[in-house]
Amino acid sequence: MPTARYIASRLGQALLVIWLAYTVVFVAVQLLPSDPVTIFLSTDGTPSAATLEAMRHQYGYDLPLWQQYTNNLLGLLRGDVGYSLASGQPVGTRIGSVVGSTLQLAGGAFALAVLFALALTIAAVLAPTSWLGRRLRALPPFLASVPVFWLGLVALQLLAVRWGVMSLFPDGSFLATVVPMAVLALHVSAPLAQVLLKSLDGVYAQPFIEALRARGVGEARILFAHALKNAAPPALTVAGVTIGTLLAGSIITETVFSRAGLGALVLQSVTAQDVPLVQGLVLLTALVFVVVNLLVDLLHAALDPRVLRSTRTQSASALAA
Amino acid sequence: MFSRPSARRGRTAFAALALAGALGLSACGGSAQSASPASGSSATGDPVKGGDLVFAEVTPINQWQTQNARFYEKANVLNSVLDRLTYFDPEKKELVGWIAEGFEANDAQTRFTFTIRDGVTFSDGTALDAAAVKANLDALGEGIASAQIQPNVDFGAYKSSKVSGNKVIVTLSRPDANFLRSTSSVAAGLVSPATLKGDNAAQNDISKIVGSGPFVYASQVPDQEVKFTSRDDYAWAPETAANQGAAYLDSLTIRYLPEVGNRAGAVQTGQVDLARGLQPVDEEAVSGSGNQVLAVPGLDLTANMAALRVGSGQLADVKVRQALGKAIDRQSIKDTVLSDSYTVAASILNHGAPGFVDLSSDLAYDPEGAKALLEEAGWKVGSDGIREKDGKKLEITVTSSNNSVVIKPAFELIEQQWAQVGIKLVNRAADNTFLATALTDPKVEIFGTRQFAYGGLGPVFGPETNTQTLHTDAERDALYTKEQAASTTQEHVKLVGEEQRKLVVDDAAILPLWDEVQVYGAHAGVHVDFTTGTAPIFQGAWKSES
Repeated sequence: MPTARYIASRLGQALLVIWLAYTVVFVAVQLLPSDPVTIFLSTDGTPSAATLEAMRHQYGYDLPLWQQYTNNLLGLLRGDVGYSLASGQPVGTRIGSVVGSTLQLAGGAFALAVLFALALTIAAVLAPTSWLGRRLRALPPFLASVPVFWLGLVALQLLAVRWGVMSLFPDGSFLATVVPMAVLALHVSAPLAQVLLKSLDGVYAQPFIEALRARGVGEARILFAHALKNAAPPALTVAGVTIGTLLAGSIITETVFSRAGLGALVLQSVTAQDVPLVQGLVLLTALVFVVVNLLVDLLHAALDPRVLRSTRTQSASALAA
Repeated sequence: MFSRPSARRGRTAFAALALAGALGLSACGGSAQSASPASGSSATGDPVKGGDLVFAEVTPINQWQTQNARFYEKANVLNSVLDRLTYFDPEKKELVGWIAEGFEANDAQTRFTFTIRDGVTFSDGTALDAAAVKANLDALGEGIASAQIQPNVDFGAYKSSKVSGNKVIVTLSRPDANFLRSTSSVAAGLVSPATLKGDNAAQNDISKIVGSGPFVYASQVPDQEVKFTSRDDYAWAPETAANQGAAYLDSLTIRYLPEVGNRAGAVQTGQVDLARGLQPVDEEAVSGSGNQVLAVPGLDLTANMAALRVGSGQLADVKVRQALGKAIDRQSIKDTVLSDSYTVAASILNHGAPGFVDLSSDLAYDPEGAKALLEEAGWKVGSDGIREKDGKKLEITVTSSNNSVVIKPAFELIEQQWAQVGIKLVNRAADNTFLATALTDPKVEIFGTRQFAYGGLGPVFGPETNTQTLHTDAERDALYTKEQAASTTQEHVKLVGEEQRKLVVDDAAILPLWDEVQVYGAHAGVHVDFTTGTAPIFQGAWKSES
């Protein structure tokens, strides 16, 4: 049962990563100057020592650090992620109130990014002239260098202000939903397309492609039936890593398009040193990272069974060499 | 609490600017229209009933508790949700009745009697009577220990209040001539006694706050939008308000436009009726397209300032502080990064504020004088052009919030001006993450800000822990105490004048920069007036187009 063992070991690693992320964030936030209660109360002049003390006590910030850490961790095991001081809500409620917006944005952007990357790659490979192929190949580096906020502002100025066909606010209309996704997707699609093209080059350099051509197989069939499948694994790995780019990009996209979401919340929570909220957000991010990478690894294994064997014998890269 | 890294904000703003130019959006013609409060916009004719007004604020709000309303984004909304005892009339520049139909002070300024209006109710139907007022005054004066809510800083002298029929009699522990006016502040807004019993979270939750104002909470999409509906039976507007009844509007929608580059476009296209925080480069585009640029003076606030943290060591010498002031070219700040909507400051109070004294001759640009003062203080120019003394460089840091759209570029210009006399400024303006710790860190030498000040300057600069100077001074404190005990208006005004001179000229504890003004963009056909705290008065607002 190599597959079951493989999944179990990956799950174990995943839990370890999440616990480490949680712990590192707890320690890192403690190292920051000031504290959440002082920041919360310092809206207008420095608060009195008695008020500070009362609030610290109320929310358990007066306990020794190890006890705060243990309490948080035990709470987590019970499914209680803590209370966000700055938002006056339980962390779960606060994140829950905006997470849908970010999931929609990031999910839509990812799907569009994969489509863009595939379309671009196919067009570049099957381009009728080498001149066009080269131009198409130059697109990904260009897209990677276009800042998301700039693209978003241009899109809004043209669509929402100049032509008046789109709302500046997320009103649920088609354009207000899809344009932010597309803006983020263009940025995310660039590394996907780059890696896929590079990987395809490697596949096309292999003798079996020549053999296929010699047998009279068409270029389109070579690409779709043979080359793409072989070139997919590296692009898949990059796709897993783009989660970070998606989240970072969504902070900017959400601001430009006045959308609620995790991006703005991350910034608020860090600024207010709202420890439970920061930890909740990190936990969520770590969880998404881990799950996505687990899926990527499993897909890897499905595409290339050598990956499973490598857990016991040699590394996949050694086999591939 | 909202912020973004300043570098990104700067780039975003720049991109928006470049873009606006590229798209030819900076339409020609039209100059900023300067609005005095209460005569805000140009739409004329009879009020039109009905409709929804969309107001774009700059940042989402999470904490709505009354004492937190010392921030524009909160005060601008709560102004239409919470009534106050008194109202500062922008045109008469005097205090008039609101929930208190009458009010008086004893000569010693230690006892105040408010006569509470009959028939006022909170939106949940309970009465806003003398007992409810007392409960609110106690919460403002003493804070609410069970909910960890601090007292309102303007209520520092509050001792107790008692109910006598429809009157509430407030006793202070020391004289305070500014107490009455501070009851007009949104941060002294009245909530139902039931609201005061909630925990910290409940009292900060807009869906749970019950007020007596013209608008009532209806719904929200977290971090995106809050909707309010007007209260049909509202009949207790301030004594001098043009509209004495319910709001003309049916409803009010608050949205957030965190991206400054989108605000002009939002107003021009009518996607919002009113937006706060228009940047100077966008003013022409808005007025040139037939819409309105409304520059609303903030008479309830100090002027924008560089408050100097005297205790930081670097700025302990008054000569250094005076040199910093002489090396600022205020007119060039206005000409370069501000617009016609802005006025160069002539004191720590704004032109037009009660008690303002004109100190402009003391605030003249004099770089040579600044250099001479620095030489006298022993700061010699080093090899890199920065002055040094005892091996230490004259390098100072400024912090500020990103609430003002112009504060960062203004300090960028000041950085250049100070460099010419050998002072290095580290510009951390508009960086809210840095501000979170810098606000209470005396080692950060300069705080760029403006603060609500209802009369005298004692509450803003007096307490040992005031976040402006993080420092107190016995002579100035004695002056504040004397001013607060003034028994006649004439004497009070004279002493407020002395406070300004002492703070700005003699001690150079703060450097005034430009008068406080909030620049709003309003779509054509929107009529809206503003309070002296620059909050839109939605109860009297209407839209002539539907």
